[in-house]
Amino acid sequence: MTWLIWRQHRTEVCVLGLLVGMFGIALLVLGTQAHDLCPGGPARCAGEAGINEACAASFRRLDEEYGYVENLLAGFYLVPVVIGAFLGAPLLARELEDGTWQLAWTQAVPRMRWLAAKLAALAGVTVTLTGMFTAVLTWFRQPFDAWEGRFQYDAFDLEGLVPVAYALFAFGVATAAGAILRRSLPAFGVAFGAFLAARMSVALLARPAYATPLTTMEPVPVGGSKDQAGHRPVPSFADWMIEHGYADATGRRLSWTEYYELEGAANRAGTNLNQFLHARGIQQFGVYHPADRFWTFQLIEAALFIAVAAILIGVVVWRVRRRMI
Amino acid sequence: MFVFRLDTHSGVPPYLQLVQQVRQAVLLGFLQPGDRLPLIREVVEDLAINPNTVAKAYRQMEQENLVTGRPGQGTFVNEQQSAAMSASTYTSLRRGLATWLRRAYAAGLDEQAVNALFTSVHRQTRNEDVA
Amino acid sequence: MTATEFALRTDGVGKRYRRGWALRDCTLALPAGGVIALVGPNGAGKTTLLRLVVGLLAPSTGTVEVLGHDVTASTPQTLSRVGFLAQDHPLYKRFTVAEMLRFGRACNLRFDQGLAERRLAKLGIPLDRRAGTLSGGQQAQVALALALAKRPDLLVLDEPVASLDPLARHEFLQVLMGAVAEGGVTVLFSSHVVHELERVCDHLVVLNHGRVTLTGDIDTLLAEHRLLVGPRTATDLDRAGAVVEAVHSDRHTTLLVRDGAIPAAPGWQAQPVALEDLVLAYLRRPSEPSAAVTSGVAA
Repeated sequence: MTWLIWRQHRTEVCVLGLLVGMFGIALLVLGTQAHDLCPGGPARCAGEAGINEACAASFRRLDEEYGYVENLLAGFYLVPVVIGAFLGAPLLARELEDGTWQLAWTQAVPRMRWLAAKLAALAGVTVTLTGMFTAVLTWFRQPFDAWEGRFQYDAFDLEGLVPVAYALFAFGVATAAGAILRRSLPAFGVAFGAFLAARMSVALLARPAYATPLTTMEPVPVGGSKDQAGHRPVPSFADWMIEHGYADATGRRLSWTEYYELEGAANRAGTNLNQFLHARGIQQFGVYHPADRFWTFQLIEAALFIAVAAILIGVVVWRVRRRMI
Repeated sequence: MFVFRLDTHSGVPPYLQLVQQVRQAVLLGFLQPGDRLPLIREVVEDLAINPNTVAKAYRQMEQENLVTGRPGQGTFVNEQQSAAMSASTYTSLRRGLATWLRRAYAAGLDEQAVNALFTSVHRQTRNEDVA
Repeated sequence: MTATEFALRTDGVGKRYRRGWALRDCTLALPAGGVIALVGPNGAGKTTLLRLVVGLLAPSTGTVEVLGHDVTASTPQTLSRVGFLAQDHPLYKRFTVAEMLRFGRACNLRFDQGLAERRLAKLGIPLDRRAGTLSGGQQAQVALALALAKRPDLLVLDEPVASLDPLARHEFLQVLMGAVAEGGVTVLFSSHVVHELERVCDHLVVLNHGRVTLTGDIDTLLAEHRLLVGPRTATDLDRAGAVVEAVHSDRHTTLLVRDGAIPAAPGWQAQPVALEDLVLAYLRRPSEPSAAVTSGVAA
């Protein structure tokens, strides 16, 4: 079966491998240069954006020279679905639309063994290609992460474990769609659509709720947003701010209208805004997830997508076993 | 090597056609005693015909003593007894038929009518034998 | 006959889809060693029955037993005894012919590569051409070579010559019959063409509207049926269900009867019936559940 699986899918595997290779090498080249901008490496500068002058200078240069690359990274949101769907959509659908399932399942290899071998091989390729690419991308983003934190949408979604889970999810949707629709191209389309819908809804609605966020409530400082001791403010840029705003002395949250009224009053009175608010006991609050929750959240989201992928593959296995094809 | 033909529109079962072709060939001298008939496999591959059909035809020919099958060697045409048509019987049949044909043409039948009459009586006679 | 002498046995097999029953109440016992034709119009259920036989579909009712094994419990050993050539002879179009043979070798327990190569060489089919670039007849030959190379005990073909030109059809049947002559393989094929069946088959199954209306050994069927031609009669002629079909014209009536029931009345002539006419008469009959006629093989 190994030869057969390779022969049937070698075009997709080669094209995807080539794309991953090309982009990977580009990222390695650019990334080496970006890494060199930070003295002592990006890890040393993590969280020091406002503190260390050398680091701050590095980050400014990073932004100037490689900021455009960071913007282009958004395109890589699609890497998991391109890999997963290209490998999953034709798995069953191509055999069904060409009629070759009648050929494949009447040799001496039982249907279920055939299916298991194909699923294992192609899921394995999906994981490998996506994993390799994600590793390179994670490494590339190290200087940017040091500066901005890893919870932002263009970091969290591209690094760590979740891209592989996204790819397996896309693989599962594409294979199941192919089994039900019996056509490769529509299966591919369904996988794309489901991927976008699932990713957006999970990232926007579910991800903030993986754990109870922390809340800080402190009076508006008179001197600005940090005190003189050089202590990093909480929440910092590396944390994931879900919600922020102002509250009155009792802790009741102010609506933005109320805040603008206060701001207007301070302007009319001609006083510094922070002193004005501090005098009235106004507090500022932040609802956030601390940066050290990154890996926990990665695990939760990865587990979520992999569980759905497993269910979809289970549907495919059940259908083939019951000869509902 | 003797070559068989098959006429799918004749209404005669395939195996019987094979038997008749061998009978006629022997009668007319195209097959001599001792000639080997093609192997069953050869006939099958040539005509795209069921092997059992050919086997049945060869069995029937063996029963009629037309041929003899020798295992491992093939099927060979037998020496025909004089119970097969003698020259005088053959000649008298021909003469009788010619006389009948002249009478038919004299009565005003054309070639088609003669053929139709012959086929109809022929079939009737055979069915009477069968029934 | 013992169980192993049956190539195929089905018992009340039926297949239901959302749109209705494609196949119903099929009970068959087909002997091994010969060529069996499954005949019926398009939509009769032939493809469904054949797919059930090779295990590509699961029956809704009934059981299917092939070469003594229940088809639903398929192991590599039982799968390797049955070969299947689906309608329109599907191949992996982008594979070369050599790669198709490699596919056969990789997926089968027994595969006679040399036999397949010799056959294809004799037909002039090059091994390095992509299967999709071959003509229809050549693709059919490649698919047949593939199916025969695994040396099956039962070879099932779904309308193998329907899409072939006359020459390709003849060449295909030459190879197929040659394989039967070499011995050991039972052939079951479906056709919606009744013409030229007698040449190739020894056993017949007629399928219409998802039901079996006639099955039996061809020689026996032809011996059991007769055409009776006589003066036009209006009376009820059906003697205990022996009349298959009655056709009336102004002056005379033609009856197709079974079991040689010949009326004693004068003026009736008996004639043998041609296979094609026999099949057509059974296809024209309205299908009733218990009307299946079986002859030839005692189950």
